[in-house]
Amino acid sequence: MDGGIAVLGQVAFWGLYSGCIYILLATGLNLIFGVMKVVNFAHGEFLMLGTYITFFFFVISGFNPYLLLFLSIPILIGAGIIVERLCFRPILGTGKLNEIFISLGLIYIFQNGVAMVFTDEWRSMKSPFADLTIGIGPIQLPLDYIIIVVITAIILVGLSVFLDRTTTGKAIRASSQNRKGAMLMGINVERMDMLTFGIGAGLAGAAGTLWAVSGQVFNPYMGSVPAIKGFAIIILGGLGSIPGAIIGGLAIGMVENFTAFFLGGSWKDAISFILLIVVLLVRPTGLFGEAGE
Amino acid sequence: MRTDCIIYTILGLLLIALLLGAGCTQTPATTGPSEIKIGVVASMTGPASTTGKDIWQSAELAANEINAKGGVPVRELGRSLPVRLIQGDDESTREGGMKAVTKLITQDEVNVLVGGYSSAVVSAHQSIVADNKVPYIISGASSSAVSRRTDLDTSYMFFHRPNTDDSAEASIQFLTDVFRPAINEKFGFSNDRKLRVAVIYQDSPFGKGQLDAVKALIPAKNLPIEIVAEEPFKMGESDFRTVLTSVRAKNPDVIYAVTFLNELVPMTQQARRDVGLNTVIMAIENNDDPDYYSGVGVYGDGMIMESRFSPYAVPAGSTEAATRKFLSDFDKKYGGFAGMMGAATYESVYVAAAAIEQAGSLDRAKIRDALATIRVPQMMEIMKNGTISFSPEFRESKFELYVVQLAMDQKSGEPRPVIVWPESLKAGEFSIPDWYTPGSP
Repeated sequence: MDGGIAVLGQVAFWGLYSGCIYILLATGLNLIFGVMKVVNFAHGEFLMLGTYITFFFFVISGFNPYLLLFLSIPILIGAGIIVERLCFRPILGTGKLNEIFISLGLIYIFQNGVAMVFTDEWRSMKSPFADLTIGIGPIQLPLDYIIIVVITAIILVGLSVFLDRTTTGKAIRASSQNRKGAMLMGINVERMDMLTFGIGAGLAGAAGTLWAVSGQVFNPYMGSVPAIKGFAIIILGGLGSIPGAIIGGLAIGMVENFTAFFLGGSWKDAISFILLIVVLLVRPTGLFGEAGE
Repeated sequence: MRTDCIIYTILGLLLIALLLGAGCTQTPATTGPSEIKIGVVASMTGPASTTGKDIWQSAELAANEINAKGGVPVRELGRSLPVRLIQGDDESTREGGMKAVTKLITQDEVNVLVGGYSSAVVSAHQSIVADNKVPYIISGASSSAVSRRTDLDTSYMFFHRPNTDDSAEASIQFLTDVFRPAINEKFGFSNDRKLRVAVIYQDSPFGKGQLDAVKALIPAKNLPIEIVAEEPFKMGESDFRTVLTSVRAKNPDVIYAVTFLNELVPMTQQARRDVGLNTVIMAIENNDDPDYYSGVGVYGDGMIMESRFSPYAVPAGSTEAATRKFLSDFDKKYGGFAGMMGAATYESVYVAAAAIEQAGSLDRAKIRDALATIRVPQMMEIMKNGTISFSPEFRESKFELYVVQLAMDQKSGEPRPVIVWPESLKAGEFSIPDWYTPGSP
């Protein structure tokens, strides 16, 4: 029995780890959608850029890859701001089709740009803690994954404090709740758009760093599947809802891994979308969404 | 005035030279094609892109060598023609493969196709090849379901690879004859204890073909092997932690992994590093590639692999010189070494050239007939009877297969393979790794 519980505990932990990556990705997506109402299909490419930035600086500097979060997040925030200014701001409000095609174009630009620089070989890197495990009850857990879970929690708490306690955070929330009202109150909503897009990209960059540190392989085309799941999560959790993205990400991570355990790995991706359909049938606005979103 | 004279004189001389040059280079008008067009179906993008590049670069190397020797003599035309390769990127997807092959056949009008890696991808474009009757030397797609399908005409398709039955037989024979006795002896198990094998396979015709072959072999040969787990995963997967956790709970002695290169690297690392699964992984030949050795690092130590071409373990004998030359030429041109798929595609380009020479024509039906009867001396991969030829019924070539075991090489910091089976080819003895833990007694 203990053995069975240990195995299920281990599977739950893998689900928690997967959930962390999804949460960071989906929270960024939801933040951007909440404020700008923009659907950015190229969000997975920010994750991919995060993996390569981490890989590049790890190879040239030899720094502890967790420290590279302090590089990947600011760089991706900068990249997000540039993308918002150059690509999305000019077409904001001109129709969803324009946003979709801009983001599809960005996918190709990012993928091919990275492939030109780094080639499209699959890459991986090794964390300095790769061989360390920690026993929690009957389960032996690799230290890296525990660190990843803790870092994700710290980032989410930091984001929450920023949004709830700072003037800029409150301005972002105001822009998300009522854009016109925020403008009338003197908030520069265009600046909030830029900042939100940057923060969303930064969160994806953090997910990319944690992806690489965990030893998962990556190449320039790896962002598409996580991005699709990110969209499933924000629809599942409720469009524009940050708690929805967190619960949705965790739910998808857990369900995927328990499905792989009980039904086999072939069902891993399909189950995310089955869960999405079931939730939408029962609650069309998603778990935490409100009517009219 | 004098300067003008000099300029006009020089210009005049240049004009005369150009006219004479034009006259000299003018050749009698020739009729017919000026080159042999070979379409190379390779996964240049997508999950199998590492192998795809290997396929393309090796084909390029073969074509360059053929052209450097004056091209391929074509009797009907009375002259030799150079080979031109045209790339068809299947994008590692069925749809991508269908697009690429359609373009190669209808727009580029290739004379022969070579390449093809994934069984799933190749099976999707086989009907296009069958409808257009284009000779296709397939160096991958090892699933027997691809080469032995009866729902379409495969008579133009020639398979220069062992099928899943052949490679499964070699692997299972090694496990029965060498691996099982070794763990029985080391851990004091009784001789009637069955070897506990967990199969983790790609959910594709390739993976299912291997699984079916293994499951059919055990009762057919009454082997002392028990399949304790069958775990599928989707193509391109990189997170195997849960699948490996499930396998660990079944206490296997060995994992039989049917994967692509980009899947085996994370699977091997996650098995030992993340899940603590101290079990040997037996991999399939398509992973015997330099990128596997560099990618897997220390976690590859002690693992085993069925193979037919190994960049770092060259069997002694008649194929050794050709193999070393190929590896050296590839390294000079592209940096690094080619893998098994590269070697098979390199040979396939030579086989295509030999078939065209034997046919004496670029007519696709005549090339097909030549391929059906061709006998090309073995090049790098060791063939049954020493020649590359295709079986009459399913047009499959037959290989001498071997098994390598990986051991860490301190100099390179990567594991390196040593041939440990069969007796006729082995360069070292198989040993149970120190870190290994067997399944339940």
